[in-house]
Formats: sequence, structure tokens, C-alpha cells
Amino acid sequence: MRSKHLRALTLVPVLAASVAIGACGSNNASSSTSSGGTSTASSGSGSTKYASGLPASDQKKGGTLKVLSVESFQHLDPGTSYFQLDFTINFATHRALYYHKPDDSTKAIPDLADGPPQISADGKTLTVKLKSGIKYGTNDPKSPINGKEVTAADVKYAFERGLNPHIANGYESIYFPLVGGAKAKGGDIAGITTPDAHTIVFKFTKNAAATAAKALVLPLSIPVPKSVAGSMDKKNPSTYDADPTKQAFTGPYMISQYSAGKSLTLVRNPQWDGSTDSRPAYLDKMTFAIGADPNVAGQQVFASPGLLQLDTPAAPAVKKFATQKPQQITFSPLGNRWVSLNYTKPPFNNVNVRKAAIAIMDRTAMQRVRGGAAVGDVASHFLSPGIPGFDEAGGMKGEGQDYVANPSGDATVAAKYMKAAGYASGKAPGTSILMIGDNSSPAKEDALIVKDSLEKLGFKVQAKLVEHSVFYSKYCQQKAQLVKIDVCANFGWLPDFFDPYAMLYVNFSGKAIVPVNGNNPSLFNDPAVNAAMDKAATIADDTARAKAWGAIDKMLVDKAAAVPWFWDKQAGIASSNVVSVIAKWNADADLSYVSLK
Amino acid sequence: MTGEPLLSVEDLAVRFDTEDGVVHAVDGISYTVDRGQVLGLVGESGSGKSVSSMSLMGLTAGRRTTIEGRVMFEGRDLLTLPGSEVRAIRGGAISMIFQDPLSSLHPFYTIGRQLIEGVRAHQDGVSKKAARERAIEMLGLVGIPDPRGRVDAYPHEFSGGMRQRVMIAMALVNEPKLLIADEPTTALDVTVQAQILALIKRLNEELDMAVILITHDLGVVAEIADEVAVMYAGRIVEQAKPEALFEAPEHPYTWGLLRSIPRLDTPRDQELVPVAGRPPSLINRPSGCHFHTRCPYVREAHRRIDPPLEPVALGQEDHVVRCLLPHETRLELWRSLESGADAAAAGRAAGTEVTEIKA
Amino acid sequence: MGVLLLIISAITFLIFYALPSTDPAQLRAGRSGSPELIASIRHNLGLDKPIYVQYYRYVKGIVLHFDFGFSYQTDAPVRQQIVDRLPATISLTVGAVILWLTLAFPVGIVSAVKRRSLVDRAAMGGALLAISAPVYWLGLVALYLFSNDIGQFKIFDGAGTYVPISQNVGTWFSSLLLPWMVLAASFAAFYARLLRSSLTEVLHEDYIRTARAKGLSERTVILRHGVRAAILPLVTVLGLDIGILLGGAILTESVFNIPGIGRLAYDAIKASDYATIQGTVLFGAFFIIVANLIVDIAYAVVDPRVRY
Ligand SMILES: Nc1ncnc2c1ncn2[C@@H]1O[C@H](COP(=O)(O)OP(=O)(O)O)[C@@H](O)[C@H]1O
Ligand SMILES: [Mg+2]
Repeated sequence: MRSKHLRALTLVPVLAASVAIGACGSNNASSSTSSGGTSTASSGSGSTKYASGLPASDQKKGGTLKVLSVESFQHLDPGTSYFQLDFTINFATHRALYYHKPDDSTKAIPDLADGPPQISADGKTLTVKLKSGIKYGTNDPKSPINGKEVTAADVKYAFERGLNPHIANGYESIYFPLVGGAKAKGGDIAGITTPDAHTIVFKFTKNAAATAAKALVLPLSIPVPKSVAGSMDKKNPSTYDADPTKQAFTGPYMISQYSAGKSLTLVRNPQWDGSTDSRPAYLDKMTFAIGADPNVAGQQVFASPGLLQLDTPAAPAVKKFATQKPQQITFSPLGNRWVSLNYTKPPFNNVNVRKAAIAIMDRTAMQRVRGGAAVGDVASHFLSPGIPGFDEAGGMKGEGQDYVANPSGDATVAAKYMKAAGYASGKAPGTSILMIGDNSSPAKEDALIVKDSLEKLGFKVQAKLVEHSVFYSKYCQQKAQLVKIDVCANFGWLPDFFDPYAMLYVNFSGKAIVPVNGNNPSLFNDPAVNAAMDKAATIADDTARAKAWGAIDKMLVDKAAAVPWFWDKQAGIASSNVVSVIAKWNADADLSYVSLK
Repeated sequence: MTGEPLLSVEDLAVRFDTEDGVVHAVDGISYTVDRGQVLGLVGESGSGKSVSSMSLMGLTAGRRTTIEGRVMFEGRDLLTLPGSEVRAIRGGAISMIFQDPLSSLHPFYTIGRQLIEGVRAHQDGVSKKAARERAIEMLGLVGIPDPRGRVDAYPHEFSGGMRQRVMIAMALVNEPKLLIADEPTTALDVTVQAQILALIKRLNEELDMAVILITHDLGVVAEIADEVAVMYAGRIVEQAKPEALFEAPEHPYTWGLLRSIPRLDTPRDQELVPVAGRPPSLINRPSGCHFHTRCPYVREAHRRIDPPLEPVALGQEDHVVRCLLPHETRLELWRSLESGADAAAAGRAAGTEVTEIKA
Repeated sequence: MGVLLLIISAITFLIFYALPSTDPAQLRAGRSGSPELIASIRHNLGLDKPIYVQYYRYVKGIVLHFDFGFSYQTDAPVRQQIVDRLPATISLTVGAVILWLTLAFPVGIVSAVKRRSLVDRAAMGGALLAISAPVYWLGLVALYLFSNDIGQFKIFDGAGTYVPISQNVGTWFSSLLLPWMVLAASFAAFYARLLRSSLTEVLHEDYIRTARAKGLSERTVILRHGVRAAILPLVTVLGLDIGILLGGAILTESVFNIPGIGRLAYDAIKASDYATIQGTVLFGAFFIIVANLIVDIAYAVVDPRVRY
């Protein structure tokens, strides 16, 4: 999972990160507007709107945008980056094999690639052809790589260095089980070959090509020429990361200046050829002021022209924009949250008790304490808006199971399932259960509502509230602990890329249960679901894949794998003369589409 | 020399308005000091010696201080003079030294600097260099060895006695006509005390400088004062030439003071008796004679009648006292006390009633 | 001093390396990082070595190469980050110190001399307000009132306008005016009160009476004799305050987005970037220790009775 915004001090709730298709908006192809590509496609619970559509393609060219960011960038090396804001910069300055257009997170478009990926019948081989004539640009015009063509070898090296401990890519080994990858430390990998300068072939140890093909939208597939990074990668850690101005850029922009935690400047990449790229790249230049105070930044964007805030605005700013300048604020969905229920031991090893737990949960109250509809929607299933399969799983409404239907908690339905589980009174008086939750607002209040709700079923909830990082690292990601824990109240997920596999497999496949760093806190392990997931992972066709995963999502709700309760939203704000465009797959601005009026 | 005294204090009263009430620190005192004369001002702690003398130069002035009376110095009333003129007199024609020589010198400045500052405050156009020479000269004059070498030393580098010499040098730097020495030896040990007093006496004689010597120790003034005033509770209760005062003191408080100093002629076995009882409150002062609360010879009338300061007897105009006891009784009482009797015995001998005073 | 730093470094090392609530390797790997990946990162960061070896390496790096390791967050050398941030913090601190002393002295002196007067009451009341107002809040209010982007009265440069002095002296100066004022306000208030009470006490000293008895003007008495002695307690506090501020004025730097040591530390804490946290803590400790030494020296300069 990608890092999300770190929100230690701000009043805004912690947002699990991810991306968004216009929720209901995906089926009413909304007309594009010139004011930042927002339309009023309403979300399930109403009041806030998601970004959707693109502005007309004749926006004004040129100008300098000032970007404010509260958070600092982390790793701008595409091999290392694993954070929403870093992705934003990566994709303005580089071209990966595939990418999502900002308004459609369901389709991966060939970028460096020259056509769709080819997957072998056994699903073990993935072949991608590269466009020719794509050139590198560098800040130093005399650099030998400047103006040189991108070759398959550079993509190959990008994957090789990902396994170098000096770079340590966080997801390569998960989505790309390459032949020879387990032992690789940065050198050649048997599983990657380049038959010619414009062809790259990945060979996997198992039937993983379909999912790997989807993962090629990740920045790992951005080409890195060995002649540039090779010597830097020998250093520990690689200096290619700390000084990103030395990168070889393929995107419309180059990082001309970077001072960690202070400032970053993007200028046009003179080697970028717009005729090979569908990105309009309106702006000439972007200057980033990093480390803004969240309250001040919101005010500045509100009051001054030419500004865009890169990360989540503070709660007061969201409120102010939503009421006074609604055309300048956009919302995009951002991952999900659920309450885990231990599948392996009583009382929640009984499906009817789990259904009762979903039925009784006051998810509306939980949404309210986080900040209401501006912050997210009550979830009716697990895939979040914008992920392929979301609509197939019932969209915002879900499949309408009676125990999911009432988001404010339904005692009657809950009692029905408790009875079905053998509790004649409809309650389980005195049964003691252990719950782990967060100890800071608003997650703490959420945890307490979970506790109250479960106590309505008669459970005696012993709540242990801990720091957010401890919640994960010491409890809900440790199998040895999870076997004793009945409920993890604050589990959230942001998928690495826009594919249902990246969302559901790690969270609910029995095969994803690992001793440490696991992400299946329910320890949910249902053979039928496991088999369905394994099969769905190998489907390459977009429509069939979405359908298969939508069905899996429905199975998970039917089997009450956990209590789905929240789909986070991220707000984005910009000055009135800025046409902001949100990349739904990243819930953040797509800088290659932003323009000034 | 004219007949007019150098300093003439008339009905000086000083009151402090405090949270607890009005403190009558000085309650109408009058005295004169002639040129070259030494006036000893004696009294126990809290009797108003410091306040009265500091008030001469306005050093007690403040929002909550009331000063009344007249302080005539060379024909001008210091109490009504404008601030700048009083400042010109302070440290110029009248200067002052204080009890604790360490705390009275600024700890962060060299003594040279503190002296120079005094010179330059009063003598316009004196160069730093000349002022420094003057400072060195004065340090030599008051007996600081190697004044040139010591002029740049800090106060803490001197012994107590030397510091007091520095204070004196500082006071004398502008050749004052009047030096007010407020308990200059109290903080010093006995041998040093004698040296300092000798120094003051010498300077008094050599420079023809008048001195008001404040002390709570009558013994100190015996040798050098030309005139002695005894203060009690903000007032002068007895004043005379030292010979008269030591020979025939007439106020019971003076007796107490005299009996508390060791003298060569007091019998070895005779106890030194401090004045019994506590000093009175200066906020709610005793009625009648202010000393009646501590006077063994008190009579009923003394509690009501406040005695005036008047000559002890006809023809003895320069020995005045505030006491309601008859002159003869006073003489007799002192005679017995002087020969070592206690108050009770003395009272019996003089045939007067004696009240026991609790210490 | 070396020993003290060694102890501090050992303690912070223990806190940040040995007992962290989050494993930096795990943070870096992400929530689904495989055990192999985490192990590899741990190895790479040297976190798989026994704690004393890690500490030895850390100290060795500092002593031999003045090397504080690498940020887990940005992979940049910690030393470079700190050196990079130092000018901003020094600019903020020095300007604020000058400003607050300039404010505190007249207010403190007038209040001490005219005690219980209207001036005194107003000044001390105001000071109390300024002291109790949180700097962060004060900063926000100042911006909302006086900054030229989001303020009601567009007078001063707002947040995020800071540029290094080497780049443009004018912009540097104007961008720091408001932060200086905000930081100085609370400090000035405190110093004014401190000076007032110290001077009030000093003015009762015998040597002040002596100065008056010498016939010096009241001005000389108060400024040269009174204030000179009254600054002693201020010297101590000032030294420590400067030390602390050089270690980072976190809140002021945050509100005004001044990229100084404080913001570096704040960001590092938010991101569990232990190497950077450790570096900033050590630097902060270093500044405070140096400040203490300077205080001692300053004491000796101000007060000739103090000797070493
Ligand atoms: N500033 C002041 N405010 C109130 N009371 C004072 C002040 N200065 C002196 N006094 C009081 O006046 C009285 C006389 O004091 P002082 O002249 O110092 O006595 P001493 O004879 O020991 O020199 C004492 O009771 C003292 O407490
Ligand atoms: Mg006295």
C-alpha cells in the first residue's frame, strides 16, 4: 500500500489514500467544464461532488503555477517513490509504460508502450513493445543522455535496480514475481529480457502476467538509463533519490531545482515531444512551496490567484471552499476502511454473528465524527469508487443485503442474525471480546462507536486503544496477535494501483495471511473466495476482470468478511484562475493537465 | 566664617505611606551644624537616623514619602530646591557614606570608574584623565596603599575596611563642605573601626569639613563629635556637647545607651545592659512620652503628656532633653546607675517608683 | 561538553533507534512489504546490527566525518539537510532577538521606574497577554491581519515568502518581518517582565542609593547603574532561549513556512524519520550546550565577581 498523507497536526482526519472515478458520475458521462473539470456527479450520500471529466482541450498555454504543499515529498526516485505526492511529480516528469488519463482510472493507456501488453497463454510471460523516438531530457544540456532515445534496456534497468537494496522498491516483488528475482540485488534478472531495443519481456514464476500488466502503471516502469543512475545506485542509499535534478526525464517537465522539505521547481522538458503524448502540458513552469502551514495554505489559495494546494486542505478550508467557492474545490475518493472481525474464533467465526455485527454498526455516526460527507461516504462493500469492479459490485448502493442496508445500525436485523447464530434472545450477553483501536481523534471516536455498537449485541468489548502506527505494527498486522484479537476497529487501505486485485487480494485472500506485515486482519480464509481471487487475478480483459472482481466483492459482503464502512474522499483546492485537474487514480492534481485562466 | 551655621535643619518630618499605615520615621527634628563641626547622631536601629539624614538631600523622596520642614544649607532650603540643583549639591557640597561598604559600591564597575563618575558629575569639563588622577589622589589620601595600581580593581577585590576607605574617597572627591557618614564603621571589625574613625577625624580637621556622624554606638562619637544628638522614635530626645552628655546624661534612653557601651572605667564585673523593651511602632506611636513604654521610671502622667525638648536646667541651654522627670531625680538616678546599680536600686536610691520593663 | 553530547546522543539513540514504535524499515517498505524486503532494508540501514554496534557506527560517523547518516525519508544526508536549514533558523532567531530586546528594554525599564503607574499596568497587562498567547495562534492572527496575501491590512509579506539572505537581502528582510514580530512579541513580553522585576529589585540596592548620593542624573542612575546590574538574570534566559531557538522555532517556522531546523525536526517527527530526528536533537543539544557556555562567559563579562 502506498503511503498516504501524514496528518500529525492538522485537523483533517487521516485519509487512507487512493483514487477515484466519478462515483455515480461514471455512468452519466458528464460534460466537461472549463472550470477545472469538476461536475456535480453526486455521491451516494449526497452533498459533495467528485471530480469528473476533463476541461476542453483548448486551455490557455503558458504561465507559472505556484503549488503549495503541507507535506514534504519523500522519494522522487521513481524506483523508490511510494507516496501519493511523489507519484504526482513522477508522472509530470516521466513517462511509464502505461498511464491513466486523469478522468478515467479504469483504463490503462499505453504511454511509453506501443500498444497493449501481450500476455502468454500460461500467464507467465508479459511482453511490451516500446514506442520509438521518445527522448530523454536533462537539466545539463551537455549530459550524454540528453536527447538520447529511450530503450527497453532502460526499463529493464529500472526493474533491476528496484531490487537493489540501495533502492528497495516496495512493491516490485509483490506484483512482479520475476524468474530470478528472489536472488537479485540490482544486477541482471533472468526474467527480464530485451530481444530488441524496443521490446521488453517479463517472465514470471507463476501465472502473474495479467495482474503485473495492470501494475505497469506504477512508476517502477519509468525508464532509468543505467549510464545515468548506475554509478549513483552503487551508493547507499542511491543518490539518484536525494538529488532528483540529475534524473533523465521523459515527461513534459523536468525537476530543475529541489531542496527537500523546502522547494521544488518544474520547468518544461525541451526534449519532450507533444506529438507522441496525449498530455497537453499547458503550464510553462511550476514552483512548489513545501511545508506550508495547513491553515495558512488554505487561506492563501482562497485569497490569492495562481495557487494550487497539492495535498489535503485543512478542515476549515474545506468548509470555506465548499460553501463559498464550490467551483474551486474537488473531491476524489481515496481508499476504504473496514472493521475486521476475527474469522478464526468465536464469536465471529459464525457468519451470522458477523452479519449481525455489520447490521448493528452505526456507520453514519462513524462518518459524522470523521467530518461527514465532505470527508467520505458510508461504504456498502469493499471496492472503493473508481476501482474497476466497483460498479459491478453494486456501486454506491451495493447489493442491498439487509444487514448492509441501514447505515445507522438496525437492531431488528441484527437480532435476526444473532438468533440465526443460535443466540435465542438475539443477544450474546456477557461474551467478552477484544478490540484494538486508535487512540487519537477521529479514529478514536470511531473505535468507540464500534465498541458501543457491538455492545448493543450484548458483547462485553474490551477496548485497547493505541497509537495509529502501533495499531498496525504491534497488533493488527501481526498474526500472532491477530489470533487473539476479535476486532480491529480502524483498518484502512489504499491500493497501490487501480486494480481490484491490489485492493481485495491482500485484504481478504487466505493466502495473504502472513506472520508479519499482513493486511488481512480478519484472518479471513474462505476457500471459495481464495479460488475465485486466484482465478480473477489471471484475467487480462478489462471487462471480464472487473466483473470477476465485482463478484468477489459481493461474495465478501455475503460472507461478511468484515464491516465495510467508509470510502474516504480527498479534497483538492485551487485559486479561481487555476483550472485544476485531478488524476482520479492518484486523488491528486495531474500537473500535465492543469492550466491557468 | 560668618555666624550663620553651615546646615540648619528645622522641624524636619518624614512620613512614609505604607500598606500598613503611615510610618512616622522622622518626627520634627531640628539641629544645626557649623563649618568644620562634627555632629554625632546616635540612636538604636530604626530611630530615624538614616531617614533623617538621607532626607536632607532628597534621597528618600518618592511617591509615598512626605517630607516637611526646612533644610537650610548655605542659605538655601534643600527641600524646595529644584531637582537639578539638589543633584549638584549631592556628592558636591554634601556627600554621604553608608553603612555597608560592599553593597554600597556598584559590584560591576571598577572603583576608579565609580570615583571618576563622581568627579565628572560635578566638575564640568574635567577630562577623564584628570578625573582619574584625582581619583588616584583621593585613594591615596584615604590610605589605600598603591592607589595607582588599585584604581582599576573591583570592589570585591578589597577588604571591608578598604572598601569603606574607597567610599570615603568617593565622598571626598569633590571636597564637600559636609560629610554625612551613616554608620561608617558598623560593618567593620573593631581595629578597622578605629582607623576609619581616625581617618574621618583627620579629614575633618585637615579639610575643615563638617561631619554628621551617625551611629548607634555612643562610644564611637565620644572622641570625635563636637555635639551629640540622641534620637528615639524619630525625634531628638537629648542633645548636648559630648562632655556634658557623658558626664551628666539626663534622658533614661541615653542612660540605656551609655550603659550598653563598654568603658575603661566600668567595673569588670558590671553587666552591659541594652535598653530593655522593644522599639515602639512608628505607625501607632505611644501616647505621651514616646519612651514611656520602655522607661523604668515611668509615671502615670508620662503616658499622657508629650514632653517638649527643653534645657535640662536653667543656664544649661546647650543641653536639652525630652523628659518629664525632675532634673534632680534624673541626676540622682544617673549617679546610682553610673556606679553600677540596676534600675530598681537606682530608683530606690532616688526615691522614685520603678516599673519593671520586659526585654 | 563532548561527554554531555555523547550522553545525549546515547539517550536519543536509545529512544529513536532501539525503542521506536514504528520500524523505519517497515515504514520505508510500505504496509505490504515482504519480510525479505524489510530485512533487506534493515540490513541496508544497518538496523540488523546489535544496538551498540549501530551506536558505535553512528558516533564514529559523527566524530570522524561529521556524518549524521541519511534521512529515511528523502535519502539525503542529515548533515546536509541541517546545514541547509541553518541559515533560515539563524536569520529568524537573530532578528527576533534583536527585536525583542529592543522592545523589552524600554518597556521593562519604564515599568520598573514608574511602577504601578498607568504605563506600567498597561505594559504588564499587554505582556501577560502576549506571553499567554500561543505562538502558533499569534502567528495565524498576525497573518490574517497583516500579511499581504491573506491579511485584512496588507502590510507585510506573508507565509512562504522566505528566501535566503544570499538570494535577495530585501526579500529576505521583508519576508522575515512578520515572523520576527510574532516570535519577538511573546519573548519581548517575558523579557520586559523579567527586566521589570529584576530592575525593581536592583533599584532598592545600596549602590543605587550611592549613585544618587553622588549627584548623578536619574537617567544615569537607572541606565548605567540599575539596568547594568539588572540584566544579569536576562543573560541566563537569553542564552538558553537563543540555544533553544537555534535548535528550531518549530511553531513559528511552521506557520510562516520558514525552512529552518524546527520545521526539519517537525517534518521528521511526522514522518518517523529517525535519522533526521536524531540529527536535529543532537544539533539542538549542541546549541543549548554552547549557549550555556556563552552564558557563563557572558556572566563573567557582565559580573566581574564571576571568575573561571
Ligand atoms: N522607604 C521606607 N518606607 C517605609 N518605612 C521606612 C522607609 N525607610 C525607612 N523606614 C522606616 O523608618 C524608620 C527609620 O528608619 P532608619 O532611618 O533607617 O533608622 P536608623 O535609625 O536605623 O537609620 C524605620 O522604622 C524604618 O523601618
Ligand atoms: Mg540606618
